[in-house]
Amino acid sequence: MGLVAREIEARGIPTVTLNMLWPLQRAIGMPRVAAIEHPFGRPFGDVGDRETQGSVLRAALSLFESAQEPGTVEHLPFVWHEDPKQTKWHPAEPSPIIALMNKRRDAKA
Amino acid sequence: MSDSQREVDPWRFTGSFLEKILSRGIPEQANHPPIPWTPATKPLAESKVSLLSTSGLSMKGDVPFDMEYERQHPTRGDSSWRRLRSDATGAGIEANHLHIDTGYVERDLNVSLPVDRLRELVDEGKVGASAESHYSIMGFQGSDSSTLVEKSAPEIAEAMLSEEVDLALLTPV
Repeated sequence: MGLVAREIEARGIPTVTLNMLWPLQRAIGMPRVAAIEHPFGRPFGDVGDRETQGSVLRAALSLFESAQEPGTVEHLPFVWHEDPKQTKWHPAEPSPIIALMNKRRDAKA
Repeated sequence: MSDSQREVDPWRFTGSFLEKILSRGIPEQANHPPIPWTPATKPLAESKVSLLSTSGLSMKGDVPFDMEYERQHPTRGDSSWRRLRSDATGAGIEANHLHIDTGYVERDLNVSLPVDRLRELVDEGKVGASAESHYSIMGFQGSDSSTLVEKSAPEIAEAMLSEEVDLALLTPV
């Protein structure tokens, strides 16, 4: 996603990248990053939670006006409403790459 | 430290296995090419905004993202892109992404692609306009993101420029 942001920015459109995995910034170098501590699959907020969705959107968009230099990372203050143990985001079956890694691990054991 | 200065914990929801895998690709110190930069020249209230999601979203009736390809090639992912109408609702969209539970975004598009929230900001005068189109890619590219970066990204930028988009917000899966 960050590499795509760089390409779009390079073609003349300012970008903000909302991102849970903001340390990837060190590997990629995104123009503007809004770091968010929300689970995968629901970065803006939970189903039907209009208030959080709108607040996260406003906070991310505000970086277009506040960020003054390339590589700005802003940590958004939102706290997810569930404990990580209660937060379900995984797919019903493991992704192909995870299934492959599990198979390799089991073969070694 | 007040809440507004708190650093986001990137591993809060990943679990330790995924943290270990993802951390391998992250250097201790910044190690990337110079960062491209286009200053935002207009106030947000006068800007046209487009959204780009990495959640594998497509309009129903359009060709969906190809999950069978990834099932056959676990280290690769569909590198194409889709255009989404900005008046789309969850019912008109399907999500294909093998790394998350896509049930949430199919119930409420705004959890991942906040089209209704953006429209509300336009109505309130806080954002100038929503672009006619939003976009999606499928974020998992495995070992090779070259087609996504060298072909799809420039094509999306071109499509945005043709609709005179001022600002692009990229939204994660």
